[in-house]
Amino acid sequence: MTADARFRVPLVILTALIVDMSVLSRVRVAGTMADLMLLLAVAAGITGGPSRGAVVGFTAGIAVDLFLQTPFGLSALVFSIVGYGVGTAESGILRASWWIPVLTAFVASAAGELAFAVIGSVVGDSQLLTGRLWLIIFIAASMNALLAPLTVRTMAWAFDRDPTRRGYVV
Amino acid sequence: MAVYRRSRRHRFLLVLLVLSSITVITLDFRGQSGGLLDSVRNSARDAFAPVQSAADRVFNPVGDFFGGVTRYGSLKAENARLRDQLSEARGESLRQAGAERELENLRALQDLAFAPGMAAESARVVSTGPSNFQLTVTIDKGSDQKVDKGMPVVTGAGLVGRVVDVSRSRATVTLVTDRSSNVGIRFQSSGSLAIARGAGAGRPLPVDLVDVNTPVAPGEAVVTSGLQDSVFPPDIPVGRVRASKVQAGALSQDVTIDPVVDFTRIEFVKVLLWKGQP
Repeated sequence: MTADARFRVPLVILTALIVDMSVLSRVRVAGTMADLMLLLAVAAGITGGPSRGAVVGFTAGIAVDLFLQTPFGLSALVFSIVGYGVGTAESGILRASWWIPVLTAFVASAAGELAFAVIGSVVGDSQLLTGRLWLIIFIAASMNALLAPLTVRTMAWAFDRDPTRRGYVV
Repeated sequence: MAVYRRSRRHRFLLVLLVLSSITVITLDFRGQSGGLLDSVRNSARDAFAPVQSAADRVFNPVGDFFGGVTRYGSLKAENARLRDQLSEARGESLRQAGAERELENLRALQDLAFAPGMAAESARVVSTGPSNFQLTVTIDKGSDQKVDKGMPVVTGAGLVGRVVDVSRSRATVTLVTDRSSNVGIRFQSSGSLAIARGAGAGRPLPVDLVDVNTPVAPGEAVVTSGLQDSVFPPDIPVGRVRASKVQAGALSQDVTIDPVVDFTRIEFVKVLLWKGQP
């Protein structure tokens, strides 16, 4: 990580947290919002690989956990696993087209929301497994897919990487 | 070999982070309140408060805009309906001016308005919780203004929810529509008691424990019951009965309630400084 990245990554996470809480929480479709902090983990996995995906996921998760009533640390747990998973899956791709990050964001976000609800109910928050879970997952994942190109670019900038190098041209 | 070692390092890091998360979750469960995590969380919320307020002022129109876009169809219908109601209301308002004065006098006489003489703190809703699973709002008053956990939150229309978390300058309110919410209620006409549960955003509240023989009419007003040790004081409006149905052979009725408060557009609320039965 360069000195620039050390400064930029926290900046991006903080900005994303503000955007998440003040803008995205108002833009709800059927009561569901995009999960930008989860998307950060996905984007970090795509651009930076498994370790960076996991670390950014953990940090973003802790940050959003501060403002949630769900068990503290739950988002951190889920997001770091998602970031790691995306980083591992993406490392095999050498030349990717624009839709790869979008599809990745959709699938990974859906998996993340599901894992959040399942692990959350395992650790005692029984309210998470609702009948509307599939709808929530679908809407949140779609909104994240829409936000993916911009977020991946931002993350590439934060890691001080050339976004065209690994093929995630978006 | 190098690749293998690198992936092992990645995996080690992941395990480390997962274990840290689990530790944090465990600590959160064990230290119920007043623990280290609580104070970290509360300081973060306080530190974030000014940023949140500023962002809220700037982005409030964004939410209104999107709210308008996604609900265009219903807004149009609502507009037509409101015009209709307006013309009706114009005619009636003349007639009601007298009745209103009478009612006001009666109220003053009998103190019928809900939460009579109860200390309250007005607050502004600064954000909705950034969650897809829980329905909470954050208000701009906290323990500095004597707001405390468990206090009921209302608007002029009726019950909003209750305070579940409080830092020095902010409090988090769980809405009655949240799935963790339970409200002890009383049907206005029959006086029978029941419990209304939250069922998620924009959904009516299902009611448990309504006896088959209780007459429940659609449109009937429902208020908080305020029984001994209840979490809400009595007689705060909760909603109106939307529908009731008795299934053959069932021991209780299926009743649903439409909340009186429109949760998609609450801006100002009042926290009743009330903590359990006196």
